[in-house]
Amino acid sequence: MKRPKVISAICIIGYLTIVFTFPQVFSPAIKKLGLFMPAIYGILVASNFIACVGIWYFKQWGVQLYLISFFCKLLFFILIHQISFGSYFSTLLSVISIFILLRFYSKMSPNL
Amino acid sequence: MLLLLFKESLLFAWHSLNANKLRSFLSLLGITIGIFAIILVFTIVDGLENNIRGSIQSLGNNVVFIQKWPWSFGPDYPWWKYINRPTPQYYELDDLQKKCKTTEAIAYRMGKRKTIKYKSNSVQNAIVAGISQEFYKIKNFEISTGRYFTQTETDAGYRVALVGAEIAKGLFPYEEPLGKEIKISGNKAVIIGVIKKEGESMLGPSFDYQVIIPFNFARIMMDTRSENADPTIYVKAKPNVANSEMMDELTGVLRGIRKLKPMSEVNFALNETSLLSKGFDSLFDIIGTAGWIIGGFSILVGGFGIANIMFVSVRERTNLIGIQKSLGAKNLFILFQFLSESVILSTAGGFFGLLLTYIITALGKDSIEMDISLTGTNIILGFTISILIGIISGFIPAYSASQLDPVEAIRSN
Repeated sequence: MKRPKVISAICIIGYLTIVFTFPQVFSPAIKKLGLFMPAIYGILVASNFIACVGIWYFKQWGVQLYLISFFCKLLFFILIHQISFGSYFSTLLSVISIFILLRFYSKMSPNL
Repeated sequence: MLLLLFKESLLFAWHSLNANKLRSFLSLLGITIGIFAIILVFTIVDGLENNIRGSIQSLGNNVVFIQKWPWSFGPDYPWWKYINRPTPQYYELDDLQKKCKTTEAIAYRMGKRKTIKYKSNSVQNAIVAGISQEFYKIKNFEISTGRYFTQTETDAGYRVALVGAEIAKGLFPYEEPLGKEIKISGNKAVIIGVIKKEGESMLGPSFDYQVIIPFNFARIMMDTRSENADPTIYVKAKPNVANSEMMDELTGVLRGIRKLKPMSEVNFALNETSLLSKGFDSLFDIIGTAGWIIGGFSILVGGFGIANIMFVSVRERTNLIGIQKSLGAKNLFILFQFLSESVILSTAGGFFGLLLTYIITALGKDSIEMDISLTGTNIILGFTISILIGIISGFIPAYSASQLDPVEAIRSN
């Protein structure tokens, strides 16, 4: 099945978000939180990116990975007490994206 | 099974990188420069921060400095309010010592740069500090040979001196300094002690470059009202007394000494080391952020370089991928193969970047005499960034390779 335009838009927003959030991995703010915090945050950013690639190819594993990385990221920000207006906004955007993705989930390919 | 698959794809990746040595080298160069830039900035910032914090700590957390000018940072420093203030005077010390209940020790210090001579040897621009008796209770310094001043020597202004390790080395390269008579701006003084080597300090000169003399001797050669001598009253709080409590008391007592009216503004500044820490915090935040932005963009460019080379690699080996798939290779194997290639490339780039940082900091440490070294945190950060950039930049080419149709892939040239 051809990828719907709304899915393409979600992926493009996702890619752009990753370009801006990737430098945060080694930002002084994350570095101050602990020795392995940049690595943990980096894994979350990378999994988010891989999920976007999966969604771009219209694969079910992309949505699954997107959901896992979304909840892990949420947990990460709650644990480090770093919830700002920006994170509320990105959470809202992710929740909307999840609803849209779940609507198309059954039409996506279950293969790798 | 998955481990075996990973091992095999790693081997494939290694062989392919080995086959194109120049191309591999050029593509890892981007990551090397990026990691080098960002980790070098972080290492320098960490080193500077540790050195400055160490120097601030050595000033003492429970010490308040009574001075003319307040320690403040930023562009809106109202200097016109402070310029006509009087400098702290030695006579104020007595009144403070009598009236303050929260203080453990109070001392006075003023200093100026002078030339110190002994026979034909001389040390120029040495700091000559005139101090009151209780100074040693506030500033921690050890005397390696000799002794500290007695109360009589301080009160009567005896012509005695304590010299720093570097001054002693400069004046007496082959002799024992104790008991020798030196000349400070033409005034004779007998050395009664040598201060133990302290090392470099980021906040002003260390005791190594100072000559300490009793205040009543120093006033012969220094103008006690001059601001250039940086006259300061050091006040140390009693144990379990908060700085804020002591500062409240000091404000009241000093207002009384200086006969200030109840509604008038104070004409002195009570400075504490936390003010310095706060000022430096914002400075390091700015430097760290600047380094982060510069390094971030270098890494991003390096990542695009790797992604580009991976796309070329996939295109070049399309028919090989087709053959592998037709012989039963799974999508996951092809994905791992190309992903490993990009991760190996970027990790190697990161390794060389870290190695370069290590070499530069090791060379710099000797020349600037400051403890700047590559920390474990920065090594972990360097490898994390390089692995991550390898995954992000290599995933799309690797995934597109894994999705190729075997028949069409074999047909391609």
